[in-house]
Amino acid sequence: MLIEVFGPGCAKCQTLERHARHAAEQAGGDHQVVKVSDHAVMAARGILSTPALAVDGHLKFQGRVASSDEIAALLKG
Amino acid sequence: MPEGSVLAPAQAPAPRSFLRRGGWLLLALPLWVGLYAVLQRLSELLAFGLLGLAPESHLGAAVAFLFYDTPKVLLLLTLVVFIVTFLQSFVSPARVRDALSRRRAGVGNGLAALFGILTPFCSCSAVPLFIGFLRAGVPLGVTFSFLVAAPMINEVALGMLFAMFGWRIALLYAGTGLAIAFLSGLVLGRMRLEQHLERWVQEALQAPASGTVEEERLTLPLRIDLAVQGVREIVGKVWPYILAGICVGAFIHGYVPESLMAGLLGTRAWYSVPLAVLVGVPLYSNAAGVLPIVEALLGKGAALGSTLAFMMSVIGLSLPELVILRKVMRPRLIAAFVAVVALGIVLVGYLFNAIL
Repeated sequence: MLIEVFGPGCAKCQTLERHARHAAEQAGGDHQVVKVSDHAVMAARGILSTPALAVDGHLKFQGRVASSDEIAALLKG
Repeated sequence: MPEGSVLAPAQAPAPRSFLRRGGWLLLALPLWVGLYAVLQRLSELLAFGLLGLAPESHLGAAVAFLFYDTPKVLLLLTLVVFIVTFLQSFVSPARVRDALSRRRAGVGNGLAALFGILTPFCSCSAVPLFIGFLRAGVPLGVTFSFLVAAPMINEVALGMLFAMFGWRIALLYAGTGLAIAFLSGLVLGRMRLEQHLERWVQEALQAPASGTVEEERLTLPLRIDLAVQGVREIVGKVWPYILAGICVGAFIHGYVPESLMAGLLGTRAWYSVPLAVLVGVPLYSNAAGVLPIVEALLGKGAALGSTLAFMMSVIGLSLPELVILRKVMRPRLIAAFVAVVALGIVLVGYLFNAIL
């Protein structure tokens, strides 16, 4: 699955990206983590607060850092 | 042992105990109250007993202030941030945006300023939020009302004002902050500044949407976790500002003569309000850091209006936020924004100095 982490590069965004990479590793299988920091792209995706995370194009949450367990659960669900 | 099990195997999360799901709060609260209750005596014991400073001396007064205020502000901040982040997990920026979309000026500005208080806002989200609002058809002026209110009357500022100075000053601050946010958004909306947005923003406003956005449901334990995260993050980030603020406060408390303060920031001096704003705008701190200074200023007889103006300009208009906003706005728009808001703060300062 394609995991996108959105954020301009603040500390919280970096933490979320780390958690996402960890979750992808944990869950196994074919996952790709991409960091998106382009504001124009974020605007088109309907993001209002960062950091945010999308799985296969669906924005799952925004404005908070989720644990890697929580992200791993998203990858399974 | 199979090789793969070095990486934690995927498993259903174990049901968490009552304590871990938030029950620990029942233990933490009495501890907090107990600590808070003994602070005053502990600080005097330290400053006058252990260090042997005379209570009447400049140094004694300054050091006692330092020992008392540091843990006090940190404790209050922890509690306030916890409660506020918990409550904020019920307000999402997306709902606020939808409520403000296509509102007329006036009603829209008022609502935006109110929502600005409630919505979780961090300056690193300012750009996505700004563009997201405009894309959804929130008028520029209404968006500005939100952008002014969100940092200036943030809940941490209000909670700390309430905890340190009582509800009347907190309410006064909230009311005047709302008025400034409302009016400056109204004025900026009238000025038709849309063409002073950066070109890429104007393009992003027209670009088609892509992907889907899911509305997430948060559980109670998750909300509590978020509140703990908020405490860690905010307290972890602002404690140097608090310490700096308290040191300045302790210095004012111990050394600055009342006559000087009354002369500079007192009610009589006509220049006290603009002076407070001029000093406050370039200073960058957050609500929690500026409050010990406010406390010391008021204690030394500075006028309430001038002091509130100082606080508003320190936390409402900050250089780092302007740098972030510069990504979306051309210099003329930034200049208009700063000028209108600063003017609003000055007017409010005069008003309070006149009536209180």
